[in-house]
Amino acid sequence: MDSILLILRDYGTLLLVGQYPNGPLGGLAVTLLLSLLGLTLAFPIGVVMALARLSPFRWLRWPAIALVYVARGVPLLMFIFWVYFFVPLLIGRTVTGFTTMVVTLVIYQAAYLSEIVRSGIEGMPKGQAEAARALGLSYIQTMRRVILPQALYNMIPALVSQFVSTIKETSLGYVISVNEVTFAAMQINSSLMTQPFQVYFILAAIYFCLCFSLTQLARFLEGRITSRREGSRQSVVAVVSPSTTTTATAA
Amino acid sequence: MNFSKKPLITFRDVSKWYGEYRALSSISADVHKGEVVVVCGPSGSGKSTLIRTVNRLEEIQSGAIHFDGKDVHASSVDINKFRSQVGFVFQSFNLFPHLSVAQNIMLGPVNVRKQRRAEARTRALELLDRVGLASKVDAFPGQLSGGQQQRVAIARALAMDPPVMLFDEPTSALDPEMVGEVLQVMKSLARDGMTMMCVTHEMNFAREVANRVWFMDQGSLVEVGVPDEFFSKPTSERARKFLSDLRTH
Amino acid sequence: MDHRLDFSVLLRGDYPKWILDGVITMFELTLAAWLLAMALGTMLAVARMSNVRIAKIAVAIYVEYHQNVPMLVQVFLWYFGIPALLPLPWQQWINAHNSAFVLAFIAAGLCMAAYVSEGLRGGIRSIPKSQLEAARAIGLSYLQAARLVVVPQALRIALPTLVSYTVLLFKNTSLAMAIGVAELTYATREIESQSFRTVEIYLLSTVIYLGFSMVIMKAGTFLEGRYRIRAR
Repeated sequence: MDSILLILRDYGTLLLVGQYPNGPLGGLAVTLLLSLLGLTLAFPIGVVMALARLSPFRWLRWPAIALVYVARGVPLLMFIFWVYFFVPLLIGRTVTGFTTMVVTLVIYQAAYLSEIVRSGIEGMPKGQAEAARALGLSYIQTMRRVILPQALYNMIPALVSQFVSTIKETSLGYVISVNEVTFAAMQINSSLMTQPFQVYFILAAIYFCLCFSLTQLARFLEGRITSRREGSRQSVVAVVSPSTTTTATAA
Repeated sequence: MNFSKKPLITFRDVSKWYGEYRALSSISADVHKGEVVVVCGPSGSGKSTLIRTVNRLEEIQSGAIHFDGKDVHASSVDINKFRSQVGFVFQSFNLFPHLSVAQNIMLGPVNVRKQRRAEARTRALELLDRVGLASKVDAFPGQLSGGQQQRVAIARALAMDPPVMLFDEPTSALDPEMVGEVLQVMKSLARDGMTMMCVTHEMNFAREVANRVWFMDQGSLVEVGVPDEFFSKPTSERARKFLSDLRTH
Repeated sequence: MDHRLDFSVLLRGDYPKWILDGVITMFELTLAAWLLAMALGTMLAVARMSNVRIAKIAVAIYVEYHQNVPMLVQVFLWYFGIPALLPLPWQQWINAHNSAFVLAFIAAGLCMAAYVSEGLRGGIRSIPKSQLEAARAIGLSYLQAARLVVVPQALRIALPTLVSYTVLLFKNTSLAMAIGVAELTYATREIESQSFRTVEIYLLSTVIYLGFSMVIMKAGTFLEGRYRIRAR
């Protein structure tokens, strides 16, 4: 127990913010930054992919379906390696591990988010779209003004769950030396050498505190949303709730 | 009809509470062998609760229920063995959807009585014939109508050869056109001498086959009477109100 | 860099053997972890359904830990952390006996057991209480009712979730490369660094992963169809 406290005292800031302000940002701050960037950039792409998947045009549907299958069937590590290899080729210069990781997360999460958005949209009662079209709204207007706002509100708990998944996925950034919290812990371990259990215990505890709080938030929101939208909407939240969407995209 | 034999089921001062709410108030009554008792009353009167205390789907807090002389709620009772001797038919049938009709009926005999499958299947076919569904022996519950499912549920309860059958609003969940086929089966059971306790709203059924009618209201057993007298000249005010409410529909 | 794809490079020297060994190790990891996850997951679900308060709390803690800590960190904790706590002779024994593979599948199996137990729990919870009542009303004991009526239905409901967890487990075996287990991703990196034919080996591995994932998903769909509860 003492050794854990000592490690926290000596390396606490390294784990939380890296060498900032005397060096680049690292640790938990980078983990959070990666996750936030990854999810927020992936979200609009995910919505577009969901709409493509639901569209009547084959040339829109198939690429969307293909990407979802690939993201579900290929390990995240392989994704990271692919992006690490391809992006410098595409833009002609080398990129940092951080950028690579962001791009990977965006693509990977967009696929998973599109599935969440798709079930959210499909779970809306048909009458909503019918009423909107009957008023004369176009497809795009119906989506923008009636379907998506409601579907997205119902999806909030599932989105929080995906955020938790993204945070866990950032741990894989260590393979390309992204300076997030797992990488920081590995560095601390190699300099200390004799206390691997304590170091990794602290690492696990950091992730646990962060992810558990967010998971509890998701559960709380799910309860609130279900009770606010009783009756006909129950089916929507049930389809899309965190308990049915797995939070284990890359564990 | 004279029931001089010892009663099969006795209720003595049976009371049940859900927290502060008193669901059953000092119920005392008997069901005799071969008798058909119909329990009726407005909703919330405790009639379903009462019948569920007999096979301990509900527990009681005071009083005693005796079946064939033995205290049902004693801790020494082998509850599974006891339940296999009491046939229970639910309002929502509760057939097992992953098993075929035959398997539903055979489940009890094979697993509780340790009967051999071949014997159990023969018996299942006999029972299905009795309820008029021999052709559905290998169908699945999801493929049957509500009335058919309830008849299978009756066959399933009969498979254990119970001396008494309990019915908890067996036709309340059925579409009107299917109520008749289920009542038909129940009437034939009554005519064959089965001891029955039925919670039901079907007053014509009560008039035709019941030996006695128990009227319950707000957890108490308000009136017990022979059908002819109960329906034409009920002695209690609440029973009169209940019957007139029924007639105005 | 040479822009022409040349898959024949992958047939040279030891590469085919590495790839094959990698695939076999990947399967061994998946199978071992899956068996552990299913067995333990079922026990956890049953424990949680019991009325013993300690059991419910213990399982809840187990599940929350394994679902909120990244699997990679769990692997590290098992491989680097736990042995350091053991007495020295034990550590030496572990190191001499292919510890990375064993600890990797243990970590993966324990992690997925948490998810499996939640999947089963969801399935059991969706079976109405009236089914259990009807089974008890015929005289079946609690265990008989669970075995013959509740669990068969719960498994059918939980099947899609369990299939997707199986695919997840399969993908996550790639994490074992972090502790030096020579599964497919590890072999891929080795071959890439030696041959510089990045695209070819990446494509091959991706296709292998994708192919087997789809086989698992198809098997799942087949099982769902076969055990579907028949209705009108």
